[in-house]
Amino acid sequence: MATVAASPTYTTAGARRTGIMDWLTTVDHKKIGTLYLHTALFFFVVGGVEAIIMRWQLMRPNSTAVSAEVFNQLFTMHGTTMVFLVIMPLSAAFFNFLIPLQIGARDVAFPRLNAFSYWVYLFGGLFITIPILFNAAPDGGWFAYTPLTGKAYSPGQNMNFWVLGIQILGISSLAAAFNFATTIINMRAPGMNLMRMPMFTWMSFVVQWLIILAFPVITIALFFMQFDRFFGTNFYVSAAGADPLLWQHLFWIFGHPEVYILILPAFGLVSEVLPTYSRKPLFGYPVVAYSGILIGFLGFGVWAHHMFSVGMGPIADTVFGVTTMLIAIPTGVKIFNWIFTMWGGAIRFTTAMKFAIALIAMFTIGGISGISHASPPSDLQQTDTYYIVAHFHYVLYGGAIMGIFAGIYHYFPKWYGRKMDERLGSIHFWLNFIAFNLTFFPMHYAGMLGMPRRIYTYDAGQGWETFNFLSSWGAFLMAPAFLIFIWNFFRSKTRGEVAGDNPWDAATLEWSIPSPPPEYNFAQIPMVTSRYPLWDLTHPERMKDIPHSMDGWDEAKLRTGEHVTATGVHEPDVAPMHIESERKSAKELGIPMPNPTIKPLWVAAGILVLFSSLPVMYAGKTLAAFAMMAVGAVMFVGFLYAWLTTPMEDAH
Amino acid sequence: MAAALPLLLSACLGGPQYPNSTFTDHTDFNRDASELWNTMMLWGAIVFVFVEVLLVYTMWKYRRRPGGPEPEHVHGNTRLELTWTVLPAVILVFIAVPTVRSIWRFQSGAPANALQIDVIGHQWWWEFRYPEQGIVTANELYLPVGRPVNFNLTSKDVIHSFWIPQLGGKRDAVTNRTNHLWFTPDSVTPNAFNGSCNEFCGASHANMRFRAYVVSEADFASWAAGQAQNAVFPPPAPDTAGGASAATVSNPAPAQAPALPLAPGYMFPAEQLPAHVVPQTPIPDGLVIPDEVLAAGDPQRGFEQYNRSLCIGCHRIRGNPRSPGVIGPDLTHLGSRHTLGAGLFRNDARHLAAWIKNARRMKPLSSTSMPAVGLGEIDPFTKQPVTAALGGLNDQQIADIVAYLLALK
Repeated sequence: MATVAASPTYTTAGARRTGIMDWLTTVDHKKIGTLYLHTALFFFVVGGVEAIIMRWQLMRPNSTAVSAEVFNQLFTMHGTTMVFLVIMPLSAAFFNFLIPLQIGARDVAFPRLNAFSYWVYLFGGLFITIPILFNAAPDGGWFAYTPLTGKAYSPGQNMNFWVLGIQILGISSLAAAFNFATTIINMRAPGMNLMRMPMFTWMSFVVQWLIILAFPVITIALFFMQFDRFFGTNFYVSAAGADPLLWQHLFWIFGHPEVYILILPAFGLVSEVLPTYSRKPLFGYPVVAYSGILIGFLGFGVWAHHMFSVGMGPIADTVFGVTTMLIAIPTGVKIFNWIFTMWGGAIRFTTAMKFAIALIAMFTIGGISGISHASPPSDLQQTDTYYIVAHFHYVLYGGAIMGIFAGIYHYFPKWYGRKMDERLGSIHFWLNFIAFNLTFFPMHYAGMLGMPRRIYTYDAGQGWETFNFLSSWGAFLMAPAFLIFIWNFFRSKTRGEVAGDNPWDAATLEWSIPSPPPEYNFAQIPMVTSRYPLWDLTHPERMKDIPHSMDGWDEAKLRTGEHVTATGVHEPDVAPMHIESERKSAKELGIPMPNPTIKPLWVAAGILVLFSSLPVMYAGKTLAAFAMMAVGAVMFVGFLYAWLTTPMEDAH
Repeated sequence: MAAALPLLLSACLGGPQYPNSTFTDHTDFNRDASELWNTMMLWGAIVFVFVEVLLVYTMWKYRRRPGGPEPEHVHGNTRLELTWTVLPAVILVFIAVPTVRSIWRFQSGAPANALQIDVIGHQWWWEFRYPEQGIVTANELYLPVGRPVNFNLTSKDVIHSFWIPQLGGKRDAVTNRTNHLWFTPDSVTPNAFNGSCNEFCGASHANMRFRAYVVSEADFASWAAGQAQNAVFPPPAPDTAGGASAATVSNPAPAQAPALPLAPGYMFPAEQLPAHVVPQTPIPDGLVIPDEVLAAGDPQRGFEQYNRSLCIGCHRIRGNPRSPGVIGPDLTHLGSRHTLGAGLFRNDARHLAAWIKNARRMKPLSSTSMPAVGLGEIDPFTKQPVTAALGGLNDQQIADIVAYLLALK
């Protein structure tokens, strides 16, 4: 990025685009975060509609609202959508928007790779979602167990879209993870040492490593499946003697860390929200950080608890049962640290705070039910029943989604410069909270009373009717709650109360600059001396017992340098911790910004064309498929070459 | 209070209005699982009440008041943090020890005297074999009270999972592997239970159910003896002393036919079936064959019709050499079963006739499973009407076959 020898004649040379082209070519981490946020909210609606149709079917026994074929597509796509197209990208929206702001950087390490990640996500999401409009969506479950998903038992195109779609989305996740890990390691402001990073950045940092370590496993597993389906190999073909459990092990070695990939960003967000509205620093900051690392670490050693019923034998059951129980310890530590963050505070019950507290309350329920299937003999009565559905919705909705809602309400003023409406927010919160519990709490009962998962119908008189009826009505109530949120969200962008730079009186760097942040983020990179740099200025009285030092300044200053303003004055790029309320353009300040470019979009499109050729080949149109492969390869290589040979900034 | 909560809960959920509840003490397995559950829910309830009360109290006590004091800044408290790290670890020991004990108890092999049952999962039905008794049947299990039973599970196609919630935890039926699950139905009066497939196995995963009848030792022996026989059809007329003429039709060794026990074995009495094990799945519109046609069904004609039909390619009737198929469920004693289509329908003339007419409309099936047979029926896969050339049968022919099959007690 910024170099010591910045050009005095720096211009943006007509590269600035407007309208839709502005969005298609942006490499600004904040705009990319905005794209992620809106796309993920769109897919949230898709996944929600899928869920509501399922609940409509299950509201009564022996219902015929949808066929088995359609239902199986719905539950497969609901799971796939919510995991890969909603929660992960909502987290990515916050990674994009927040990480550079929180660490005092002007952008991510690789802005164009960042744009590429988004476009790959969008194309992958559409690739895997559109088939449901043609009754050809994946129908083998989001876990896609072999041999059911092999060619022999799923001969249609359906599972092709899944295996290729997840592969495409994996490219996006991996590219983004390397980008954010690099950003956090290299681009922190002077003095922003690891143990001074805001907790959201900490949890995000852990998540990037989980993605980097877990996604290669699913990539390999998917390649095996891809080769089985398209090229006739036998990795998972049971008729050729394959062990059907190979897929399960590979899937869950990815799949369990994936759970923490989904939840840790939300933990990070509430760790920002709770201290802010309690007017207290986070209780036990080091322990919260370390427990996040420990959760991530242990998360790789528990995958087989998804497989207690497959017959692994007593030794494996014992080991995985005990390691799973161990995860309760760092998770419980976080719960208590959050409560004691509130303890002794002056709590403001804003909508963001309500959602954050709801996460504590609801995630606790999910954690307790989780312990009850960490014990294999007990799990054998629970696994693959609605009890599990209840459990993981308490973790993923009660945890991840509640945390993300808290994050959206909390950061909306920074994102758009206006607050979301608190009254509508409160209605959204309560309706959502009631509907959530009404939907998922009865599922505990249905499961323990013998109702299996993933069934499109059940017989009358099994003792499940009441619980299913309640669950369905809860799901129907979630729709208006979400619509209120969407209304509030879009309305507040233009009509919300103007927020100012630091509406919540928060303590971290992102609140020291204008809302919404200017394209360059920080006119001068702040030099940080403590964990709560903004409170150093706004509330020095709170900071007397917080250690301050200039550790890490020298090294970071070397990397930061100076810039040259339009009037030719050399100014250092760093300055002691300060508040910036002036909004100028990067050009006025002489800050070189990466040029917008559409090339990452075209490279992503090349990948989409390449992957799309395989279903065409599967349909027997070999020639067309080869033509698509050629076009895709040319697009991919050509635009990548153009991208890599274009300097990121204008020539100096 | 917290201690009483989970016990109260499991007591309520074991009631008769919840016929598939896992909270039962019918088997040694379920007693262990329930005990573990109670232990965990006891600790869970304590943790839950503690955390939520603490949370709500904190919210109430430290809500912001106008003019309230500036909060004191506390950054941590090593002693407190150690406490809430160590205490959960101690609680986990109380859960882990009985867990491990239970794992080793139920996974170190079944007792030597266990009744062996081979369970083979198919898309979408269950094949049950009793190797010691020489029985092959489908979708309905008989278990003697008080004797350990060891299920040896495998699958013919995709992964399934075998579960009888009231009797014991589930175990997957995995292709190319044999898994084991054992329990002893030792404190249960003779009764009927529902079972289900719990691993997603394709279109009709929801319709892969089965029944388990726990019966007395004597009734089990009678049932087993009946099931082990070949089918005898047409039955020897009671007034024919020799009975040889009738028996020749189906019995490969006609001379011995009269010596076979003619009384069918024990069958769980239909009037004692609890309501929840009697399927209520409705028949799709347009598949019902009128009762008067069914009443006119003739087993002898049906026997001949069956032997010329498509049925014999996939189904086996031991004792009928024309019917050697092994793809579909064994029909040797179809008349002795209470359910049809893997626990989906009642096994009576109406349902069986509709099933034969168009099985693929009765239950979502795969393109390789039982085709529509009724003349003029549209097969959901081929989208073509069934013709006589394709082996289609008219209602009367189906009624005859139904009469024959239901006579196979």
